[in-house]
Amino acid sequence: MARIARAGIRFVILSVAGIVLVAVFIVVKSYSRARPSQPIEYNHKVHIENAGLNCLDCHVHAGDNVAATFPSLEVCRNCHNAEPVSKSAEELKVLKYVAEQKEIPWNQVYQVPDHVYFSHRRHVTVGKLECSVCHGDMKQQTAPVSVPYLAVTMDNCIKCHRERKITNDCLACHR
Amino acid sequence: MEIKRRDFLRLFGGISGALVLHGCGLDDVFDVPASLLEKAKNGSGLESWSNTICSLCPGGCGIQVRSIDGVPVYIRGNRVYPVNQGGMCPLGLNALHALYNPDRVKAPMRRSGDVGSGKWESVSWDDALRTVSEKLSGLRKEGKPHQVGFLGYEERGLMRDHISRFMRAYGSPNYYQFSLTQNDTVAYQLLQGHAQVPAPDLLNARLIVSFGANFLEAGYSPVYYTKLYSHHQERQTKYVQIESRMSLTGANADQWIPVRPGTYGALALGIAYVVIREELYDKEFVRDHTKGFEDWIDRGGKKHAGFKSFVLGNYYPERASEISGVPSATILELARQLGNTRPSLILGDGGAIANTNGTFALMAVHSLNALLGNFEREGGIYFINEPPFQKHPDVLEDAIAKAGNHQTPFAQSEDDSFPLTNFSIESFAKNVVAGRPYPLSVLFIYGGNPLFQTINHNDLANALEKIDLIVSFDSAINETSEYAHLILPDHMFLEKWGEVSNVPSVGFAHVGVQHPVVQPLHQTRHTGDVLIEIARHMGGAVGAAFPLNSYEEEIKFRMKGVYLSGEGAVASQGVRQLWLEYLQQRGWQIGRYASFEEFWDRLLENGGWWNPIRKKRNWASVFRTSSGKFEFYSQSLKASVDRLVDNSGGRQSLHNEDLVLNKLNISARGDGVFVPHHERVPYEDDLPLYLIPFHVLPNRDGQASNLPLMQEMFGYSANRYWSSWVEIHPETASEYDIADQAWVWVETSVGRVKVQAKLSHAIMPNVIAIPFGLGHTSSGRYAKGHGVNPHWILRNIYDPISGKPALEATKAGISLVI
Amino acid sequence: MPKWAMVFDLDKCTGCGACMAACKMENNVAIVDPEEAQAGRALFWMDMINAHEGEYPTVAIKRMPKPCFHCDNPPCTKVCPVRATYLNEDGLVAQIYHRCIGCRYCMAACPFTAKVFNWWDPRWLEGATTCFNPDVSLRMAGVVEKCSFCAHRLHHVNEVARVDDRALQDGEFMPACAENCPADAIYFGDLENKDSQVYKLSRSYRVSRVMEDLGVEPKVYYLARRTA
Repeated sequence: MARIARAGIRFVILSVAGIVLVAVFIVVKSYSRARPSQPIEYNHKVHIENAGLNCLDCHVHAGDNVAATFPSLEVCRNCHNAEPVSKSAEELKVLKYVAEQKEIPWNQVYQVPDHVYFSHRRHVTVGKLECSVCHGDMKQQTAPVSVPYLAVTMDNCIKCHRERKITNDCLACHR
Repeated sequence: MEIKRRDFLRLFGGISGALVLHGCGLDDVFDVPASLLEKAKNGSGLESWSNTICSLCPGGCGIQVRSIDGVPVYIRGNRVYPVNQGGMCPLGLNALHALYNPDRVKAPMRRSGDVGSGKWESVSWDDALRTVSEKLSGLRKEGKPHQVGFLGYEERGLMRDHISRFMRAYGSPNYYQFSLTQNDTVAYQLLQGHAQVPAPDLLNARLIVSFGANFLEAGYSPVYYTKLYSHHQERQTKYVQIESRMSLTGANADQWIPVRPGTYGALALGIAYVVIREELYDKEFVRDHTKGFEDWIDRGGKKHAGFKSFVLGNYYPERASEISGVPSATILELARQLGNTRPSLILGDGGAIANTNGTFALMAVHSLNALLGNFEREGGIYFINEPPFQKHPDVLEDAIAKAGNHQTPFAQSEDDSFPLTNFSIESFAKNVVAGRPYPLSVLFIYGGNPLFQTINHNDLANALEKIDLIVSFDSAINETSEYAHLILPDHMFLEKWGEVSNVPSVGFAHVGVQHPVVQPLHQTRHTGDVLIEIARHMGGAVGAAFPLNSYEEEIKFRMKGVYLSGEGAVASQGVRQLWLEYLQQRGWQIGRYASFEEFWDRLLENGGWWNPIRKKRNWASVFRTSSGKFEFYSQSLKASVDRLVDNSGGRQSLHNEDLVLNKLNISARGDGVFVPHHERVPYEDDLPLYLIPFHVLPNRDGQASNLPLMQEMFGYSANRYWSSWVEIHPETASEYDIADQAWVWVETSVGRVKVQAKLSHAIMPNVIAIPFGLGHTSSGRYAKGHGVNPHWILRNIYDPISGKPALEATKAGISLVI
Repeated sequence: MPKWAMVFDLDKCTGCGACMAACKMENNVAIVDPEEAQAGRALFWMDMINAHEGEYPTVAIKRMPKPCFHCDNPPCTKVCPVRATYLNEDGLVAQIYHRCIGCRYCMAACPFTAKVFNWWDPRWLEGATTCFNPDVSLRMAGVVEKCSFCAHRLHHVNEVARVDDRALQDGEFMPACAENCPADAIYFGDLENKDSQVYKLSRSYRVSRVMEDLGVEPKVYYLARRTA
């Protein structure tokens, strides 16, 4: 009897230890990933309101590709060539990249896990969604976003799919 | 927040101790440079496709490479390329593993330790090229350019021309190729007067009888044949396969006829007997276009017996049956089918020619094509014209080169043991060791792995050790390049310019152009460019032979001829054979392009050019023998033998002739020597079983062994992975108490190997077969130490006429491993 | 709703194995250790069955490529405790790796042994995963996987068709095996589309399905001359 009890106690202790460890692990894991910061304090508001740019002008493949893509240096160079067009210190950084012909190392904020198939084309062109549905109103953003407007969670995907009566077949998104 | 379930499981596993997950897969399958990884990770995910030609085997299939942000991720067949029409084989699909292979040589290397020590130091391209050029210049100064050899592999077309040009301008007659198909065509040479491999019209023939030709697995272009084979049902083609072990081709044939190794010729002649006796042969063709069929009288008034008399006198079905082990009823039936079905087609390859009597066997097999009148006929065999390449101006040799080129070719046997070839790996090895007729100072090795593939392994190894400087262009360190002093790695085919044209036996002229679909991953250089650079280093007439700056320009230059000829068209969706013929008949010229640049761009975009329309050949170009006919009685063989007899003292004494013929392993005498006949293979009769090696599709020449997927798939047909097996008939196995999957020793007079037995009804009793391709002692991490190499326990004997290795001439014993 | 199905013409198939290799490359299927492979744990979504029939010398070797049969009445999905495998509305039997708990009930239930299990983590070189086909995720130890009829390609062609505002054409959705078959022995298409080649072939007098009496309604058909 005692032996069984002892085994039971051991099981409980081990389970508790396990749960604690898992909790610690989760916390550590979530903090270990730094929030992305961008090489340039990009101001969406200025570009949209003053320069009159649309989303697709810079994220050129949002309509026809899986990834919307970050603007390549080529895109930036269209406006930011040799002379600065503003007084911003950030623009000088861009010009430096242009002068050195180095691609700007943008960091991705919205990341979809590798077992999920997410296609911009499917949402933008086929589904005719506005960018702001997931990315918020970028007209108001004066600094780079560091947290997704709409968290990339399956809950959010499913909710939206349900509201719009889009398939929730696992295979439609999982691969 | 990101927890992978893997982490989760691992954590839990650590606590309970019940579940310990540890990786057990393969490490380092890929070796991808950091720059590519960066691209793939942060790229936009943009997809692109580009066309090129696969050159992992000589088949020359058109492929489409899918790249994401410029990083190749997948390969599929090119639908518009006429050779494979979208089809692929396992090896070609796996080409990316060759590209990203972790064992590639990434930069030039110099061996710093003993052979096999694995000690290499990297050198810069400049240093490496200087070393080579200085050595070569030095030899020229001493007047010994002929002491430089070049051992190629399966290169054809422009690359072969390029290397020949280099050797010629430099001044050496010693450019040889050692491939598995080396010396296959001597029999064709003897009968038709030229060595061109005929293109069989598998599509239009109604009955196809193959003597050992495993074309679906080991032919020149397996995918091309598979495409043609796939039409057999709607066209009601019947395939008959004659071979000792049922290959993939045999398994797909309508009838498999097992035959004793080394007796294909006798069987073919047995069939010829019936065809002649029952007068089923094409009398018109035989009368007009063959020589030596009937008895004949020569100019001196001497009477000669013809092929007909020989066959009728010697190869009655019972005798053919006794020799070959094929029932005479089967011979009769097959012969009658052949004679009564038109068109019916005969193929010969593989086991039929890989023996000491291979030349005569293939002559006998090919004679059936003549009896059936198959030449230049629908459903028969054709000869394909070379693409109209623009020609380079001739090489202007300087005095040194002229003298060098006039030297006796090195690999020709001194003692006339292989009279009809200028290269046999056996004479090559012997001559290097003996230093005759002159020592070999420098050897270039391009492609291939002769030391692994050959049956004179020890001799060749000794020979390689005697050479001052061996320069290998391999992109991997394999058994042969272990002996190299210097490795100047070539690109992998996806990284380079190249051309694959007129794959032998493919039924139309074609050129596939390879172009880089990815920038070279490592510090490798195109061998064509390296040769140009070495030539320029030497300067003078050698450098002047290469006015173009790169191999790429050379391809472009040569392709101008194709453009200017106005023949054929760039392969494309709409251009199908019937359509082309229709246009041609109406005097249209297809394939019009505004400029060469347009032609070139289309060519690269679509992968290649082809010309499916064959001009009717006149008979003088079909048969280029001295009689202008198909020679049942081979006058060129007669001339060769006469020359040998003269060399050894002349015909005054019958003894001299005997001596020569015995040495050639010819037991026939008189006119019988020069007509197709059966010669006995000198088997060792004290051993009970015939041992034959065979080829499997994923790894036909042993070069694919460092691709993990090909290793895994190596034995998919026998449910074996990464390992060799020996196929044995259950009856034979029971004599030795061998059960399926039992470990056995296979022992020959040369050595023994340990393999697992696979009992099979698809092999003749008393024959055992081991697949070739595994058993590497080098060649990379995935190749090394898996399976056995049957070639290393085969006897070192050859067809004395053609110098082809006799792969099926060894007998063996088998015993259980205790 | 479409009903995707595959037809193998065994009279054309030579058993060359191109489909096996194409599948492995397209779907990032792991290559296991030699010892593991020899122990029967090699992972092939497209497998090749070898059968010898008859006795020497009138022997026949039959080779039969075998993917997942995507049954209309699949036994595997009924035993899955977590709905990681299910029949979707396109008639595909889905396998969602991230739901799978590795109980292997579905493997036991499948009469065709179409499913394989990842006994170990495939260990690729650090970061090398980016050079795999990015359309297919990599699996981890402890999950069951199987032929998906290259469902990821369906996403792609569907998207393209819908961008162009047209219906999917016959032959547009093509799995890697069918795409590369050198003998053109693999047909793939929609059974609901009466004009599709697959529909016509599935009604051929040569057609048969494996273990038809089980009532699982496989959507993989084999064409072969009747020998008996």
